[in-house]
Amino acid sequence: MDNLAIECRQLTKRYDEQSVVNQVNLNVKREHIYGLLGRNGAGKTTIMKMILGLTAPTSGEVLIFGMPLQRNEKRLYPRIGALIEKPGFYPNLTGTENLEIFAKLRGTTQSDAVRKALDVVGLPYQDRKIFGQYSMGMKQRLGIANAILHDPELLILDEPTNGLDPIGIAEMRAFIHNMSAQFGKTILISSHILSEITLLADDIGILHNGILLEENTIAELEKKNRKYIQLEVSDAAKAVLTLEQDFSIKDYSVQDLHLLHVYDTSLDMGKINQALIQQGITIISAQRCNDTLEDYFRKVTGGEGIA
Amino acid sequence: MRALLNLIQIEFLKLRRKKFVAGMLFAALIMPVIAVFYFGMLDTKELDPIKFYKWATLSYTPWILLPVVLGVLSTLLMYDEHQNDMLKQLWVVPIGKLAYFFSKFFVMLMYSNVFMMISAIGSILAGLLSGLIPLTAPSLLFLFGKCLEISLLAPAAMLPVLALAAAQRNYLLPVGFTIIYTFFGFILLMTNMYLHPLSAMTAILVRNDPVVILNEPINTGKAFLVLGIWSLISTIGAGFALRRSL
Repeated sequence: MDNLAIECRQLTKRYDEQSVVNQVNLNVKREHIYGLLGRNGAGKTTIMKMILGLTAPTSGEVLIFGMPLQRNEKRLYPRIGALIEKPGFYPNLTGTENLEIFAKLRGTTQSDAVRKALDVVGLPYQDRKIFGQYSMGMKQRLGIANAILHDPELLILDEPTNGLDPIGIAEMRAFIHNMSAQFGKTILISSHILSEITLLADDIGILHNGILLEENTIAELEKKNRKYIQLEVSDAAKAVLTLEQDFSIKDYSVQDLHLLHVYDTSLDMGKINQALIQQGITIISAQRCNDTLEDYFRKVTGGEGIA
Repeated sequence: MRALLNLIQIEFLKLRRKKFVAGMLFAALIMPVIAVFYFGMLDTKELDPIKFYKWATLSYTPWILLPVVLGVLSTLLMYDEHQNDMLKQLWVVPIGKLAYFFSKFFVMLMYSNVFMMISAIGSILAGLLSGLIPLTAPSLLFLFGKCLEISLLAPAAMLPVLALAAAQRNYLLPVGFTIIYTFFGFILLMTNMYLHPLSAMTAILVRNDPVVILNEPINTGKAFLVLGIWSLISTIGAGFALRRSL
């Protein structure tokens, strides 16, 4: 698919007999922000490492811009910027010196690339503070600066807000948004924080125990975040018949023999109750409900939910 | 080749503010200083400069001091990147694993060169200032020639330590191994000089020295072969270790 920046097909990683990533099909569209959401240990970092060729998949394949990474490293790596796990740099060098090393390694021709990258993440240029004295937030920013130093098309950021204070998180979010909206970068970002992903991503992949449970757009997922009336009755089938006849309700779902959801929340609860009682249906409970995305994630992850 | 030169240059940039790396160069002056006291106490008149240089620069310096210093250096060169989890950032640049390994080796090679030159100049100055030796052209030629040989051979003989450092996240094992490895090289010289790279290096260095008497005749080709085999094994081992480094 031409519009995909990353395509993972049946990606699997096993260590001995333990499956860490299991037959994952992940599709990151160009110029989109894709949020990979999962609890700690769900397999997010392993997937990112496999995408970057840092760990070999047990089976399956990864295509980046339609090409396998193997044998295309020199063509593909310059198009990718990555921050995987904690950012590592030389502790005896300053941020500028560290970035100058990476600029030289990458053969970056732009003379002010280091200054620009540091400006973007809000770190001072030619500061005398060595990396060993940096706070966690500064380290994270330098990691991002290194990822964008060579102006890549694709950014792979593994939990980029780790260790940042609330203002830093907001700034990082704005920065990621800006990279996508203003510069058209494709961004794959992982997080275990639901709110962070929902605020940032266009598309989302929910990973649980190495399995990609769902891949969808945030807009589609939000549609599932619906309001409804939940009716617990003695006979759901009979209740449905009554609701269809008396209220012309078509948008509902029967959950089980006694439980049904009515998605038209404008209906008068009193009238519904009256109609059902007249038909001899016992109402055990009736309430207006509102499923949040968190409820939805809790449901798809089998009740464990996401922080 | 240009990429490798770039990597070597970067290796030197990484050493900024590493005072210990520069400080280790002072070890090159240990033997020249001891030589002054040793020959001074003997009260020898008209000491042969070559004999002085052999003692001050060409004995314990290449046998023990330089290997230990190079072993520690190779550990330092690998340690930061392992300890700070930097290898994944380097591999996605991308940097070839073997090019990475060889760039470290070339740093060792240049460091070894500087170390031996300091030792040679230290010996000359120590000998001259103490009045123990005269300045003669043949002795200088001999000294600098041997120093050059040592500075080229010693890093090759220390490749197994560099390979071990490439495979380790900590520094204790490579540093400990350096000490054992160096002393074994020294001890094996007297039993079989074609087993250990450092013994093989010494065999090459003393090949045309009539004063040195060894248990068996020196076979330079065999010594080079031993060095070559160990270098190859070390390079393959390091390549394998770096591939599995994440």
